[in-house]
Amino acid sequence: MSDKEEPKSLERRRFIRSGMQAALAVSLGGLAGFSLLKSSSKNLVWQLDPFKCVQCGRCATECVMTPSAVKCVHAYDLCGYCDLCGGYLKPDPNARSTAAENQLCPTAAIKRKYIEDPYFEYVIDEKLCIGCAKCVAGCTSFGNGSLHLQVRHDRCRNCNDCAIARLCPADAFQRVPANTPYMIKGGFTKSGGGKGKEKKG
Amino acid sequence: MNRKLVNIVLIVLALAIVVIIGKDFIGNKAGKNTENPYEYNVDEFRKVDSTAILYHETISFAVNADEPKGIAISGQQIIVVTEKLLLKYDYTGKELFRKELPDTADCVTVDSNNEIWVGTRHSVVSLDQGGTLLKRWNSFGDRSVITSLAVSGENVYVADAGNRIVYHCNTTGQILSKIGEKNEQKGVPGYIIPSPYFDLAIDDAGFLWVVNPGRHSLENYNPDGSLRTSWGMASFKIEGFTGCCNPAQFALLADNSFITSEKGMPRIKWYDQEGHFKGVVASPEMFDPDSYLAPDVAIDADQRVIALDFERKQVRIFEKNQDGNN
Ligand code: SF4
Ligand code: SF4
Ligand code: SF4
Repeated sequence: MSDKEEPKSLERRRFIRSGMQAALAVSLGGLAGFSLLKSSSKNLVWQLDPFKCVQCGRCATECVMTPSAVKCVHAYDLCGYCDLCGGYLKPDPNARSTAAENQLCPTAAIKRKYIEDPYFEYVIDEKLCIGCAKCVAGCTSFGNGSLHLQVRHDRCRNCNDCAIARLCPADAFQRVPANTPYMIKGGFTKSGGGKGKEKKG
Repeated sequence: MNRKLVNIVLIVLALAIVVIIGKDFIGNKAGKNTENPYEYNVDEFRKVDSTAILYHETISFAVNADEPKGIAISGQQIIVVTEKLLLKYDYTGKELFRKELPDTADCVTVDSNNEIWVGTRHSVVSLDQGGTLLKRWNSFGDRSVITSLAVSGENVYVADAGNRIVYHCNTTGQILSKIGEKNEQKGVPGYIIPSPYFDLAIDDAGFLWVVNPGRHSLENYNPDGSLRTSWGMASFKIEGFTGCCNPAQFALLADNSFITSEKGMPRIKWYDQEGHFKGVVASPEMFDPDSYLAPDVAIDADQRVIALDFERKQVRIFEKNQDGNN
C-alpha cells in the first residue's frame, strides 16, 4: 500500500505519535540540562534500564525524595493507543472508562483521552506519579510495554549511593553519562517484529 | 584475662551484627523480605476450574534450534520453522529433517498438495517437502510484516501486520484483492494491530477468518471482502480475550470450531462455530510463570492441538479428554 492510499486515521495516529515523541524528546532533553548541573565530578548520573526493571515497587518506596524522583514515561512510538489498555485499566474493569474504580494507577496519574474509534491516548501527569510501576507491570504484561520508568533528573539529587539502586532486585540502576541521562524504549516497527520474536516489555 | 574475654565477646557480637546486616541486605536485594504494596496481581485469572479443562497434554519435545517461529502439520509430520531452518518431527519428537531456509521465516502453512508455504518478513516463499525452493514472491514493501498464511486451492491469503491488511493472492503472488480496509458500506471495521500478531485461517467452506486483535474479535469475510460475521469479547475472564491484542493465534478444527491462543497470560481455549466458549485446552498454569508469548497452534488429522511454546522452545501436543466432548 502506498503512502497516498493510507487511511487518514493511520496518518493522524502517526502524526500524533511523532508529535508526542517530539514533546517527550524536548522535555527529557531539557531535563538533561539539570542532570549536567547536578552531576558528579565524573559527570555521571543514575538511570534505570527499563528492560531490566521487574516492577518491584521500590522505586516508589525507597527514593530519598517524596514523591520519588522516578516517574513513568511513555514511549508513544510503541503504544497501540488501545481502548483496553493494560497499563490504564485494572484487570477486568467494570467498563473501559475513566471512572476511578476502573483505573489501575493508585494516584490517577494517567490521563486517558479519546482520539478516534478505537484509539485512546495515555499521558502521564508527572506531578501525580509516584513511580510505583503498577502501570508498567500492566502494560508490560498485556500491552506493548510502552509505559516504563525513568529517573527524572529535574528531581533526582544524584545521591552518591542511590537508595533505590542499592535495593533494586533487578540491578536495573546504573551510572550513565550526564549528557545522555535517559534510557527510553523504542518501537517494534523500528526494531522489527514477527511472531515469537516480541519480548516481554 | 577479663580483658581478653571482653574482646572475644565484642568480636563475636560484631560478627553477629555483620551477619545479620548482611543477611538482611541480601534478603532485601533478592526481594525475599519485601512486599510490593503496588503489586500488579492477576493470579485469580490464572486459575481455571478443572472442569473447564477439556484437553490434556500427551507429549512435549524440544525444538533444538534458535528462534522458533511457526508450526504446521504435513501428513504424519510436524513442521516447525525457525528464523533460519525448516524442521520436521515425528510424533515422538524425533527430528526427521533439517534444512536451511532460503529466507528468514516468520510463519508457515502446508497446502493440500503438501507444498510448504513460508511467510518471510516482507514476502512469501514456497518449498517442496525436500525444502527446495519452488516460488519466491515479490516483496510487499518495507513496511510489511507477514505474520500468517492460508492456502486454499489457487487462493493464498497473506496477513500483513505492518500494513494492517490481508492480501488475497494467486499462487504466484499476484494480488487479487485487499481485505480488511475500513469500509463502512461493507461493514468492515478495519484492523487494529498494536503488536505483530495477526493470524488468519480458512474454514472448510473456503471462507476466510481473520483475527482483529485490537478489537479482540475473529472476523469472517465473503469473497468480495464484505464482512459475513464476527465474534469475540474482551475480558480477563476465561470466556474472553485479554490484553491489547488477542487472540494472537488461532486454528480451526475440522468442524469449524476454533482453537485460540493468547499472549500476555498465555492460554489456549476452544470455542464453537458461533464463538461460544466451550472449554480450555491449556490453562495459564500450564505455562511457565513468566511466559508472555502466545503459542502458535495447528490441528492435525486426529484433531489434536499441536502447540509451539516459544518460551520453552517446545512442541506440546494436547488431546481431548475422553469425557471432553462438550
Ligand atoms: S527498584 Fe528496580 S525493579 Fe524495582 S521498580 Fe525500580 S527499577 Fe524496577
Ligand atoms: S501507576 Fe504508578 S508509575 Fe504508573 S503513572 Fe501511576 S503512579 Fe506513576
Ligand atoms: S539518586 Fe537519590 S534522588 Fe535519585 S533516584 Fe536515587 S535515591 Fe532518588
